[in-house]
Amino acid sequence: MTFAWSATGLVVAVLLQKLLGLFGSPDIILPDPFLILLVYAALRGGETRGMLFGMASGWVQDVLFAGPIVGFSALAKLLVGFGVGVAGARFLVSGVLPRALVTCCAALLDILLHERLAAALGVEVRELPLQPLLLRAALSGLLAVPCFALLDRRVMSDPP
Amino acid sequence: MTPLLEARRSRALLLVLVVVHLLAITHQVDAGGGHSLLERTILGLFEPLQAGVTHAVLGAQGGWRGYVDLRGVRERNRELEARLAQTEFELMQARAKAQEAAHLRSLLSLRESGPLSGMAALIVERSGLPWYRTLILDKGTDDGVQLQAPVLAPTGLVGRVIENSAHAAKVQVLIDQQSGVGVLIERTRLPALAKGLLGRGGQGTPLLRVEFVPARADVVVGDTLVTSGLDRLYPPGLRVGRVQHVGPGSGLFREIEAVPAVELASLESVLVLAALPAADLRAAEGLK
Repeated sequence: MTFAWSATGLVVAVLLQKLLGLFGSPDIILPDPFLILLVYAALRGGETRGMLFGMASGWVQDVLFAGPIVGFSALAKLLVGFGVGVAGARFLVSGVLPRALVTCCAALLDILLHERLAAALGVEVRELPLQPLLLRAALSGLLAVPCFALLDRRVMSDPP
Repeated sequence: MTPLLEARRSRALLLVLVVVHLLAITHQVDAGGGHSLLERTILGLFEPLQAGVTHAVLGAQGGWRGYVDLRGVRERNRELEARLAQTEFELMQARAKAQEAAHLRSLLSLRESGPLSGMAALIVERSGLPWYRTLILDKGTDDGVQLQAPVLAPTGLVGRVIENSAHAAKVQVLIDQQSGVGVLIERTRLPALAKGLLGRGGQGTPLLRVEFVPARADVVVGDTLVTSGLDRLYPPGLRVGRVQHVGPGSGLFREIEAVPAVELASLESVLVLAALPAADLRAAEGLK
């Protein structure tokens, strides 16, 4: 993915986030569009691109949505991007189901890292209950399927 | 570049980036928050996009309601709602002043405070992360929005500005877990601290936790909380919430929970006040 694609991806993620917010559902279960694009970038571009896109998308999320202390989403998504990139290079995750499963796992890992990092650095954040988290991960996986299909068509001509 | 070399390079980059992030976060934790150029830039870059979508959505909603759903009644209703909001706001101030007068007896010893003034701003984005409660407004430094400026709704206090760019501002709302406001229990004038309690026990219900209320204090369900002004961030007398639960607590203090006065989910616009004078803010920083 080129820089232009990454920047476009961030803009699309912000728009998707806003559109999802219009449904008015409890925010815990809403899928994370930034994470879905991060998983795509990491699976397609490898660990380095995955972590750089993760860092950039995390900073956008932090600045737009987090409290006075920013950087936790960036750090969590940096690590998730790296992890997904490494996993993508070692395992066969090109099918629809494996990619959806990777997105589910990445969504859970992202939440877990965010909470643990905040706790470790002495910032009090809300403890999220497990059931809505699992639902959020599942919804992220589901949303990833059409998003990845669309991206595959659009980015196919772009070298990995 | 060989795969091995590339893997080493990416791990080295990961290590560097992790360390940089940890240092940046630690610095903010020590300083109580950060206002960097990067933050202002990102906020400024995305504000037009968010504002555009919000205006489009609100425009579409307004069009549907205005033309299809009894246009004239809708317009009249809006006008009346605006007047009601203004009246509620004035009533809130008047009630606070009356309470002060009744309890303090000596008005001459109080510092005179002028009427509050501010600007209306549209909410263009709400928090998209489950751990935080922030809002993005369509007004920024170019419109006169200052850091730490109190933000109000007709029914009470919303929060304060924690970051701003030329045309956007980020507001930390009261129910954010990292938020805190000095309050008074209006009936008894007892001072306390109200902190955000997002989703107590994972239930997802926004609440406030009222701290430092002595175990024998006179507090009952339904008591109103107003800002005390002691934190030097918010002017005194603004409605904060209503006590919903009073428990025995443990040790010296009672366990009290309150419902915020402002229903954030349905809020579309807010009033941004001028920040308190710099001297007061410096004093508040010193209290942290």
